[in-house]
Amino acid sequence: MRRRLGWSFWLALGWITLILAAAATADLLPLPRYDETLVGPPQAGPGPDHPFGTDGLGRDVLSRVVYGARVSLIVGIGAVLLGVLFGAPLGVLAGYRRRATDAVIMGVNDIALAFPALVFALAVVAFAGASLLNVLIVLGVLGVPAWVRLVRGATMVFSEREFVAAARVLGARDRTVLWREVVPNVSLPVLSYAFIGMAVAIVAEGSLAFLGLSVQAPTPTWGGLINEGRPLMEDAPHVVLIPSFVMFLTVLAFNLIGDRLRALTDVRQSNLEPVRRRQADRLPARPHHVEEDVLLQVADLRTHFTTARGAVRAVDGVSFTLQRGRTLAIVGESGSGKSMLIRSVLGLTPEAGTRRGGRVYLDGQDLTELDDEQMRHILGTRMAAVFQDPMTALNPVRTIGTQVMEPLMVHLGMKRKAARARAAELLASVGIPEPARILRRYPHQLSGGMRQRVTIAMALSCGPDILFADEPTTALDVTVQDQVLRLIRRQREERHMAVVLVSHDLSVVAEWSDEVIVMYAGKVVERGPADSLFERTRMPYTEALLRAVPKLTDPAHHPLRLLPGRPPDLAHPPSGCAFHPRCPYARERCSQEEPPLFQAETLDHLYACWYPVGTGAGVVETSPELSGASGTAEALKAAEEAAELEEAAEAAEVVAEAAAELETTDVIEGADSRGR
Amino acid sequence: MAGSGNAHLRPPGEVVLRVEDLVVEFPAGRGRSVHAVSGVSFDVARGETLGIVGESGCGKSTTARALMQMPPPLRGSVRLDGLELTALRGEALRRTRRRLQMIFQDPISSLNPRRRVRDIVAEGPRVWGAGADRVDEMLTAVGLDPATAATRRPHEFSGGQCQRVSIARALVLDPEIVICDEPVSALDVSVQAQILALLEELKERYRLTLVFIAHDLAVVKNVSDRILVMYLGKVCELASGDALVERPAHPYTRALLASIPRGGLGLPPADQLISGEPPSPVTPPSGCRFRTRCPAATPLCAAEEPVMRRIGTDHWVACHHPQETGEILKPVEAPQVARAPEAAFPQPAEEAEDARVPKSPKVPKVPKVR
Ligand SMILES: Nc1ncnc2c1ncn2[C@@H]1O[C@H](COP(=O)(O)OP(=O)(O)OP(=O)(O)O)[C@@H](O)[C@H]1O
Ligand code: SF4
Ligand code: SF4
Ligand SMILES: [Mg+2]
Repeated sequence: MRRRLGWSFWLALGWITLILAAAATADLLPLPRYDETLVGPPQAGPGPDHPFGTDGLGRDVLSRVVYGARVSLIVGIGAVLLGVLFGAPLGVLAGYRRRATDAVIMGVNDIALAFPALVFALAVVAFAGASLLNVLIVLGVLGVPAWVRLVRGATMVFSEREFVAAARVLGARDRTVLWREVVPNVSLPVLSYAFIGMAVAIVAEGSLAFLGLSVQAPTPTWGGLINEGRPLMEDAPHVVLIPSFVMFLTVLAFNLIGDRLRALTDVRQSNLEPVRRRQADRLPARPHHVEEDVLLQVADLRTHFTTARGAVRAVDGVSFTLQRGRTLAIVGESGSGKSMLIRSVLGLTPEAGTRRGGRVYLDGQDLTELDDEQMRHILGTRMAAVFQDPMTALNPVRTIGTQVMEPLMVHLGMKRKAARARAAELLASVGIPEPARILRRYPHQLSGGMRQRVTIAMALSCGPDILFADEPTTALDVTVQDQVLRLIRRQREERHMAVVLVSHDLSVVAEWSDEVIVMYAGKVVERGPADSLFERTRMPYTEALLRAVPKLTDPAHHPLRLLPGRPPDLAHPPSGCAFHPRCPYARERCSQEEPPLFQAETLDHLYACWYPVGTGAGVVETSPELSGASGTAEALKAAEEAAELEEAAEAAEVVAEAAAELETTDVIEGADSRGR
Repeated sequence: MAGSGNAHLRPPGEVVLRVEDLVVEFPAGRGRSVHAVSGVSFDVARGETLGIVGESGCGKSTTARALMQMPPPLRGSVRLDGLELTALRGEALRRTRRRLQMIFQDPISSLNPRRRVRDIVAEGPRVWGAGADRVDEMLTAVGLDPATAATRRPHEFSGGQCQRVSIARALVLDPEIVICDEPVSALDVSVQAQILALLEELKERYRLTLVFIAHDLAVVKNVSDRILVMYLGKVCELASGDALVERPAHPYTRALLASIPRGGLGLPPADQLISGEPPSPVTPPSGCRFRTRCPAATPLCAAEEPVMRRIGTDHWVACHHPQETGEILKPVEAPQVARAPEAAFPQPAEEAEDARVPKSPKVPKVPKVR
């Protein structure tokens, strides 16, 4: 949420503050009175005495512009306040109550919106007299329908959120729910539009003044100044140009502030903006070899965030390769850096305070060297992503149709009609019934499974080479999960693409992937072919994850095996092996030295652990009677490492044991040491 | 008013919550409607956990919300201890609602981002003018530190912690029934296990009755006494978890079991899997709503809607042709790991023996050394 507002925002805010301050303190400023004639020669250009020059009657233009700001600002702010005062409660009521209340309010509102507003304003002001109050009231009232509509929309969005339902479940009265749950959330979007509304009101007042229908002379208004200066356009253009320019800047500033505030609330945008490369510091990459014939190679990828708590190492030196037609799964608890790894590969990490390192090669091309525009193109056409929460990937106020059609029109240059037809086909191909009907719906009207299918359809629309799926089925039930995963696999085969599947569900990973990466605290702790990794698990963390899953074969109320604690704070990861505070096998060495990636007996199977599961190395001390647990190369390796660094006695024991095992066998099957 | 029958309901005296012929529809434009829930009946005895599983969009959440009267069902009855909730309005409904509480799926969106966590939990007592003394007790009970909760907002907590906050918020009013709508599906396996264990513990401690909705059958089975299977707004099957998994009778239940990933064990029995597309709830199929995807469908299924009937002790099914054999589960098993000695994990003793043999050809098999 905390996004940078940018210098333009602060500049605009500065300008408005300046105008406000000048207007408020006009009487105290060392300025001639706005209506005092002949304070200087008439029609004089800007000069030291009169920085903005003088008008046809020799009045000081600066003074008139400053006093004119009063009218503009009072009308701008006043009209918005008036509009919000009447529009917001009606909008909240309509959006929260829905049904009949909504129908009545919106019915009246739509009629009001259809009214020719300016004509109405002209008529009223002409009839009731042109005074500041009349202008303010007319503009304020005219703004009400727009406010009703806006606030109703925002209210609807937040009323969908579960915390509102939760408050009602607690038995809170509607009044309380509205006031404490809905209004605080609606106020930010309202604030952003308030600024835009002020700009609109200022322009409207200017137009009225130009027609002579605003505050009457001699009180200056910006519109009035421009009108008065018209005849002097040739001799003294500054009389028109200066107030025009001031008004232009002010309107621009209000719009800008409104826009930036709105961007702040826009979840979709804040999630999916590619990094601005110059703002992300680069960490040096370790030397590596760029492999040929792989679709994707990630080398020593690192993403660190600078936060108040220190550097958060979200992704810390991850390397892997991926071939076409393969599925790579990334598992780990939330906070282990899975999603950030994917985002780093895609270049979608937040921009501020990010330090990135490492390389990402797509078909040998280094993506970390590309600029924003090139990267956007790659993302649109060669790499696509599906994220966990389909609701944040979909814009709640746009129809499914517009959203599915957008990439087709932007990246493939399709015409609207063709895009609509293709969108319907895509929805049908992901198993959505009645695609034509769904295209006209809004995201909240679909169930979770449907929404996820829609985002998959969007991701596949431009025929990517790699599909990144971040927890695509987490919120779905098994039949749908099965279909979605089947769908992804089928698309993978048809399009000969590769898939990177992030999941915390190990059974999904075991069934649907070829290779697996287990992440903990931003690092790869075990990696290998799926069958080897699941059947000859080495890393205690992987084992613990596997054991925490409830099994269908267990009886009801069977106590689950808990993996205690939570993943570490990535700003302060534990020393040594980051898993050691939670690891049942941890020994002294674990908290002191970080284990490197060891090679397991199966090809390509790597793990980071000093006392791996199922090799005997992990159980030496706790169960000396298990000396039969067969040793393997890595047990020996671990032992050798230990010999160098730890107490000789312990190491000697391990070495001796490992050596003994090597005589009998070099392999263990499933290392079912428990069965002994 | 065709439903799936009420034969499976127990006498009103034995249950705390009794739902009969619940119907919820949403307008779908042009005078049509979404038949989200069409005649669902079930009951829950005090202290029992009823699990509800079913496909996306089958109306699980809608059922949960209809119980809370948010919005009230179009037709049907919801009785809490004999009190008809659908007849309540305004103040009376508001007072009754607190006896039922809900835990939502999305731990983040179910907490107001602009309020502090302790205030979120204290909201219930505040609404009811009760003291906040239970607030800290609940926060502690769900494993959160009240002092931390007093200063932080939801976004500073992890998903699992947010779900603990939701649980604390639901329990602080001392409800009789807690409806959990997918409470763990957005969580990690480790946190999921922790939250499930927490729910079980709190259920004991505060003598709660739970309605537990989830899409993961293994999760539901772990916490539930009985499981209700729903499809497209209808009830399919009701049984104890063990009976359901060992002797699934409804073709849909069987498909559900068959779709569970079995980790490298190869593809599930194809005849049990369902293909095709879920029909639209706007125009649901006649007769049995599952017939368009059912491998066992006959013309009878299109003509007549099946009603719930008993096929075993406390095992009910709404199907014209319930299946007999229960061979589905056999190959279904979560991936097993190489086991470390039991002593290493201070955990419950009983555990299914793992008889599977790794099948990778790369590694020569050798006899185990003793
Ligand atoms: N406000 C609404 N307007 C129109 N249709 C709706 C609305 N809310 C839900 N529906 C429809 O009602 C049906 C049941 O939805 P519900 O959310 O109860 O399903 P669910 O079983 O909880 O699904 P999931 O597991 O995906 O959340 C779906 O077809 C859904 O599209
Ligand atoms: S290195 Fe030590 S703490 Fe880390 S996983 Fe292995 S045994 Fe556990
Ligand atoms: S009633 Fe017929 S269609 Fe429905 S589940 Fe049974 S066999 Fe299948
Ligand atoms: Mg739901």
